[in-house]
Amino acid sequence: MIDFDNVSKTYPNGTHALYDVTLHIDKGEFVFIVGASGAGKSTFLKLIMHEETPSNGEITINGNKLSRMRRSQVPYLRRHMGIVFQDFRLIEKMNVFDNVAFAMRAVGESSSVIKKRVPYVLELVGLADKMKNKPSELSGGEQQRVSLARALVNNPEIIIADEPTGNVDPELSYEILELLNEINAMGTTILVVTHEHELVREFHHRVIQIDSGRVISDTKQETYDPSDDIGIDELYSDDVAEDDSDYDFGEAASDYDYDFGEAAEVDISDLYGNANVNP
Amino acid sequence: MKGFGYLVKEGFRNVWSNRIMSIASICVLVSCLVLTGAATLLSRNVSDMVESVGQNNETTVYIKDGYSQLEAVYIGKDIEKIDNVQSATFYSRDEAFKKYKEQLGDELFAQIEQRNPLPDAFIVVMDDLSLYENTVEQIQKIEGVSTIVNRSAFADKLTKLSHLVNMISFGIVLALVIISIFIIANTIRATMYSRRFEISIMKSVGATNMFVRMPFLVEGMAIGLISAALATGALYALYEAVIAVVESTNLPLNFIPFSSVLIPIAIAFVIAGVVVGFFGGFISIRKYLKMEGNEILGW
Repeated sequence: MIDFDNVSKTYPNGTHALYDVTLHIDKGEFVFIVGASGAGKSTFLKLIMHEETPSNGEITINGNKLSRMRRSQVPYLRRHMGIVFQDFRLIEKMNVFDNVAFAMRAVGESSSVIKKRVPYVLELVGLADKMKNKPSELSGGEQQRVSLARALVNNPEIIIADEPTGNVDPELSYEILELLNEINAMGTTILVVTHEHELVREFHHRVIQIDSGRVISDTKQETYDPSDDIGIDELYSDDVAEDDSDYDFGEAASDYDYDFGEAAEVDISDLYGNANVNP
Repeated sequence: MKGFGYLVKEGFRNVWSNRIMSIASICVLVSCLVLTGAATLLSRNVSDMVESVGQNNETTVYIKDGYSQLEAVYIGKDIEKIDNVQSATFYSRDEAFKKYKEQLGDELFAQIEQRNPLPDAFIVVMDDLSLYENTVEQIQKIEGVSTIVNRSAFADKLTKLSHLVNMISFGIVLALVIISIFIIANTIRATMYSRRFEISIMKSVGATNMFVRMPFLVEGMAIGLISAALATGALYALYEAVIAVVESTNLPLNFIPFSSVLIPIAIAFVIAGVVVGFFGGFISIRKYLKMEGNEILGW
């Protein structure tokens, strides 16, 4: 689904944000991307969203090489992704319904579809009764769930959450990740950028650690032991060698089913759209 | 295109939510259109008048007051003696009076009928118009000749005036068009600035550039459309007012009725307004379309 092949990113001001990053994320995976601020996590996300282009290397998403993508195609790439921001990015003057509907209107969805779909997605995140509220009337956790609903509403194959719990109370952070877990269970690929190691430990998912622009560890779910009491950095550094042998990126990329986009769309619309859960 | 109605609605909402700037844009665009329209109407009227007077190269020679009609006939004979003069037809003050009365209505002339202020005249037709100056000089020398009016010279002057007005108004209109585009672009830029947050979200969820751009283009075109409607009304009022003033001076001028040009003017205004508005919107949005995510928000 997402392939990075020797990707480096140097900004025009000389900042080296990423060095030679190679990794592969499969459809349906739940991946945490951890690292201190300034480690290159944001650049990583920007590259996936095609907000930035790599200085070197190639990024492939759903079989599309981003370097060959025309500008006019970028919006269609982004429709495969739902973005959740740390600061929620909700439009203050719109109520919850309109905030979520906005994402559908922006891609030209008809209002009859919007009227059915938005309440369904809000139901999914547990906010069906807050549809008419303004964001300012909601708690941080609720606002983040609205943001999540907006990310989900267009049936993306990937949810990219940038520090989704950064502005949310610790108890509610868990709730948000639980929700992402549920969405993942329905087949959506989840990418969560976070620096909250505690939370990462709670969930048994793959963790990619980025430090100073390099992937210093990448652990799969099977090799991740949450009961292990040692510091997370130590844990990762132990796993580096093993991970390298586990991942044959070149092969994975060539075996990759490039028709994913379509297949996934069918999957997800079955799960979400045709599930007859419309209130 | 799905969602088109929504985008159009958003565009009109932009005009309203940004009304101070919108009004400024509309004012400039209306003045631009009215000026263009006024210049066009003037030149249309002038060329109409020129056509009606310019064809005949007749020169009117007025006889001084106090000469009897018999004396006038002798003056006519003297005029005809000049080489270049083909004919000199007597045009009596009574005839002239009657013609004016027909053209301008009875009431006005009823009171002054007894003391007709018009002079006797000869309508002179020349063989060779290139000798015009010379011939006029000779006629002027004849005893009893008051003034000489060449209607084609009048037509020339009108044409020259119309050209001048056209040139000046072309310059003004050009400047105003540029100012209009500039002001509209800034108006829309202000809307866009206040909506940059929405733009950044639209882009992050995969709105096409066309979709992001649309409400702002609609905003520009809506400003153009409103301006076109106002300008048509304003031009009509202005034209009627000018005609009323000119007619009160009793000059024998015929104006094109506004109704005969209303449709082409309205169409031209709408097209011009929409095009100018479109360009205003188009140039202002380019900047934001090139930016991504936090760049748009300036974070």
